[in-house]
Amino acid sequence: MIALWPLAVITFREGVRNRALYGITLLALLLFIANFLISGMFMQEIGKVAVDIALSAVSLSGLLLVLFVGINLMAKDLDKKTIYMVLSRPISRFQYIVGKFLGMALLIVVTMIFLSMCAMLSIEIIKLAYPNYFQRFSWPMIFLALSFSTLTMLLLSALAFLFASFTSTSFITLVLTVIAYIIGQSLSDVKALVEAPQSVGIQVSSVTVKLVQIAYYLFPNLSLFDIKTQAAHGIFLTTSYVFWVVSYGLAYITLSITCAALIFQRREFP
Amino acid sequence: MWRLPTVILCITLVMVHIVSLGKISEQVKLLPQGEDTAYVIPTPILRITALEFRGLASDFLFLKALVFLGSTNERKEKPGVKTWEWKWLYHILDASTSLDPYFFDPYYFGNANLTWGGGLIEEANMLLEKGIRHRNWDSILPFYKGFNAFYFLQDNETASESLMEASRRPGASPIYASLAVKLAYKEKRTENAITFQEFILQHTEDSQLRKEYETRLNALRGVLYLEKAVVEYKLRFGRNPQKLEDLITKHIIDNLPPEPYGGNYYIDSHAQIKTTSESQLIPHPHQH
Repeated sequence: MIALWPLAVITFREGVRNRALYGITLLALLLFIANFLISGMFMQEIGKVAVDIALSAVSLSGLLLVLFVGINLMAKDLDKKTIYMVLSRPISRFQYIVGKFLGMALLIVVTMIFLSMCAMLSIEIIKLAYPNYFQRFSWPMIFLALSFSTLTMLLLSALAFLFASFTSTSFITLVLTVIAYIIGQSLSDVKALVEAPQSVGIQVSSVTVKLVQIAYYLFPNLSLFDIKTQAAHGIFLTTSYVFWVVSYGLAYITLSITCAALIFQRREFP
Repeated sequence: MWRLPTVILCITLVMVHIVSLGKISEQVKLLPQGEDTAYVIPTPILRITALEFRGLASDFLFLKALVFLGSTNERKEKPGVKTWEWKWLYHILDASTSLDPYFFDPYYFGNANLTWGGGLIEEANMLLEKGIRHRNWDSILPFYKGFNAFYFLQDNETASESLMEASRRPGASPIYASLAVKLAYKEKRTENAITFQEFILQHTEDSQLRKEYETRLNALRGVLYLEKAVVEYKLRFGRNPQKLEDLITKHIIDNLPPEPYGGNYYIDSHAQIKTTSESQLIPHPHQH
């Protein structure tokens, strides 16, 4: 553990120095300002729209953070061959992967906390401007949605680590991570669609159904973490839902990082 | 020495940009627009492609519907919105509520406009039913459904059921239950319509809709006033008046109430009070 901490801190600092981080934060801030303009256009449920936009802005920024800052942090050592320098130090490859991931997780958590605070501020200001249009509104659910969003980003970042452990360039890692994200978000709907294709009048072969069912267990089901709709309408979740989703997320992250470390240990560098 | 030509080139390019953008925007408007281009992606596909931004996609689809209907106010031809455009509007609101079935605005907007404007009572009710299923804390949606059943479909039984459903929901107005009981008496149609309309008006904030509802309410009040006068006339003289002026000559009323749509009230052969702007009061659900 002691060996991991300095590596995590170095990774975090490296991430903070990345210019892309500022671009992403700026984008999020612009979206929060746009929130005032857009939510004012609606008739009744202004609160719902304001929460939608704020939470979506946080999710989008988190996603960009993982894809453009996170992957770089992992892959840069490989791309620029600085990995040789790291590996010559007295830390194992396993520690290297775990330490890197901890640094990345720290970066994600700190950035998401900052963005979440901005998001809540923008919601609060709109709430002050239109107090009568926030009838079903719940801060705890918004907080939970933001936490789940952070968990999604940690999960995606763990997957990116797994991909980076066996690919040769960061670009391939990026592509694989984007694909995993899209599959993860749409998997339950695709599964529902291919299992009942008559609802849109299409035909699906039994092979496709089997493939989707396999993918359902292989890829992370990210849509489980997406509770923005419930947060926007103040619909509460059961405690067991929260417990099982968090367990599922943490298990998937640990599994991905362990696999990444195992693959990385066996990897030979030219 | 290259400075001046570069500046001139830049200015020319900016001007070409502005002119061509203006021209192409005009050309785009000339492109054929019709039912073929009004396709709304099936909702299962929309749900998949919206990824985790379904709430946002739902908001923007609703905004699209809102902006579209607003833009038709500027049209010169009558009716401003074509039949297929009403259908498209229904589909887009349906898609918006499939992405976020708890979103109140599309139900509210769809119900207010699809019924009075488009005559799509069935579609408006389908939207409302979806909303009633998902927003199980909301008492106004079953109330709207009850109104549609009573006013447009003239189905008092369904209306009464919907109002009962509304009255059972949290925070329901006591009016729902009493209206549900009143609907059993078919003869008090105008009075019931006024009670409904008054309640809807109280819960409407949009100024355009309020104005529309107030006018309709005034017209209905005029009808009720004259209906009561006709009953009085029949009690006194044992027969129905031939024309409304008889009510004045026999000193039952002093003068006819103003007709807020600019038309005239009249009495038909079945002694029913009608107005020459009847289409504003009683829409024809099956006109399309």
